[in-house]
Amino acid sequence: MKKLLGSRWALGAALAAAAAFPFLAQAVEQPYLVRVAGVIGLFMILGLGLNFTLGYAGLFDLGFISFYAIGAYTTAIAMRAHVPAPLAIVLAVAITLAMRALLGLTILRLRGDYLAVVTMGFGEIARLVINNLDSLTNGPKGMQVRPWRPLACISPDPNVQYYLLILAGVSLAVVASRRIESSRVGRAWVAIREDEVAARLSGIPVREYKLLAFTLSAAFAGLAGALFALWEQFVTPESFVFWESVLVVSIVVLGGMGSIAGVLLGALILVGLPPLMQWTLSAEWINYRYLFFGLILVLATLFRPQGLLPSARRESELSS
Amino acid sequence: MTGPGPALLEVRDLAQHFGGLKAVDSVNLSIHEGEIVSVIGPNGAGKTTFFNVLTGVYPGTRGDILFEGRPIRGLPSHDIVARGVARTFQNIRLFSCMTALENVMVGRHSRTSQFLLGPLLRTRAYREEESAVESLAKEFLDFVGLRALGNELAKNLPYGAQRKLEVARALASEPKLLILDEPTAGMNQTECSDLVALARRVRERGVTVLLIEHQMRVVMDISDRVFVFDYGVKIAEGKPRQVVADARVIEAYLGREGA
Repeated sequence: MKKLLGSRWALGAALAAAAAFPFLAQAVEQPYLVRVAGVIGLFMILGLGLNFTLGYAGLFDLGFISFYAIGAYTTAIAMRAHVPAPLAIVLAVAITLAMRALLGLTILRLRGDYLAVVTMGFGEIARLVINNLDSLTNGPKGMQVRPWRPLACISPDPNVQYYLLILAGVSLAVVASRRIESSRVGRAWVAIREDEVAARLSGIPVREYKLLAFTLSAAFAGLAGALFALWEQFVTPESFVFWESVLVVSIVVLGGMGSIAGVLLGALILVGLPPLMQWTLSAEWINYRYLFFGLILVLATLFRPQGLLPSARRESELSS
Repeated sequence: MTGPGPALLEVRDLAQHFGGLKAVDSVNLSIHEGEIVSVIGPNGAGKTTFFNVLTGVYPGTRGDILFEGRPIRGLPSHDIVARGVARTFQNIRLFSCMTALENVMVGRHSRTSQFLLGPLLRTRAYREEESAVESLAKEFLDFVGLRALGNELAKNLPYGAQRKLEVARALASEPKLLILDEPTAGMNQTECSDLVALARRVRERGVTVLLIEHQMRVVMDISDRVFVFDYGVKIAEGKPRQVVADARVIEAYLGREGA
């Protein structure tokens, strides 16, 4: 499976199939599937982002969704100020990166559980600020986002347009992850994860590299947030609750920390399953989805702690 | 001070206290370019603590460490590595789930500069640096005699090879001073003489070597000079023959006569 995903041809074929998907879904008159696939794609980008913090640097983060929120709200505010949409996306990524760097500078002295609690606290604070800062965010009423219709020449359906944009975003995130992972920076992260003292004494500025991994995560969250806001044309604090952070962590853990293919699979399962259940069983089931996530995660940690598609290195680290 | 060259490392009145415990106290010494110097002393004499202060693991409580005439005490470890001091560890600390080759490539970190844009855009400068790092890392593996094991995970290497891999990783940062913390610990006689030969070849490359060593045969064999530590204080220094005849050294190791 890993070899299959690793080969260039297989990747090209997967990409072509993914690009053809919305047209197929329309052909069989299931346009709803395009929306579901778009949301899965957004969480793939988020998962790949969190993978830098959780997978590469080994830092726990339970407030990641707040950066998705910052990306979405930055876009909404920029659109309200009549900034062109592509520039609004860039702005969202930049501001999300800056906020994340600031947070990292202040809290990365902490480790493990303490870090998890503080990031969770930040997530809640961010949501409360958005909820109460009426002048900027319009509070709990939410914000309308001026419509932007890219790729209108390919399809008139905004869902298809945004599906394709998100697919491009996922591809970008995969390529960026792969390239950084295999570089000098990626090697430094592995070294830090395996032995911090030895890494420092091999010349790696450990604190700076942790901050780097932590910060880079936000670029992906910012991008996903911007696409979400433009697609939905509406943002509200309700979309960025604590459980969404847990969902992103679950995606990375279930798929395999540090594994790009694993994160993609994790998002496909955890985001794709609830709508499928709702569709095949009944609408009632959606209320129990976190019960199922819990069950899946417990089973995964018991029987496959390295994740469904682990990176070779992580698997080896866990077994030693 | 005696020695073949100018002082590479000069330590003045160095101390590291942990509360009331004076792990290292008032240590003065200097090491010259091209020397092989051993630090010996009973267990708990403060040798490893001394090395930890030299390499920035501990900040030191008092005193100066001058490397090439510039103060380095209290600098972050990675800065000290960049200035040319590299080390190995008493308990082997390799990146166990990286290959031998990758371990040495990590050791090259402070001598390389490609950051994010290079790998993201696959620039020519990035590709050139990566291939240079890889071929240099192979040369260092070759130097310590591990070339054939480059693709093995570090944790799967035999014990003696792991010690040598630590040396290769340290050498990859092109140090002027290489610090070895008990390099022969747990080794059999063949592995020991291998390591002694390796230390000599490291010196031939122009690298000064400072080591903690317990096996007196090894100490007598390779050291130009010896420092003796006891209770955090340097109690003697000199050529190996002089030092083992020193009454204070014998007392530190064996106790006072008639006591």
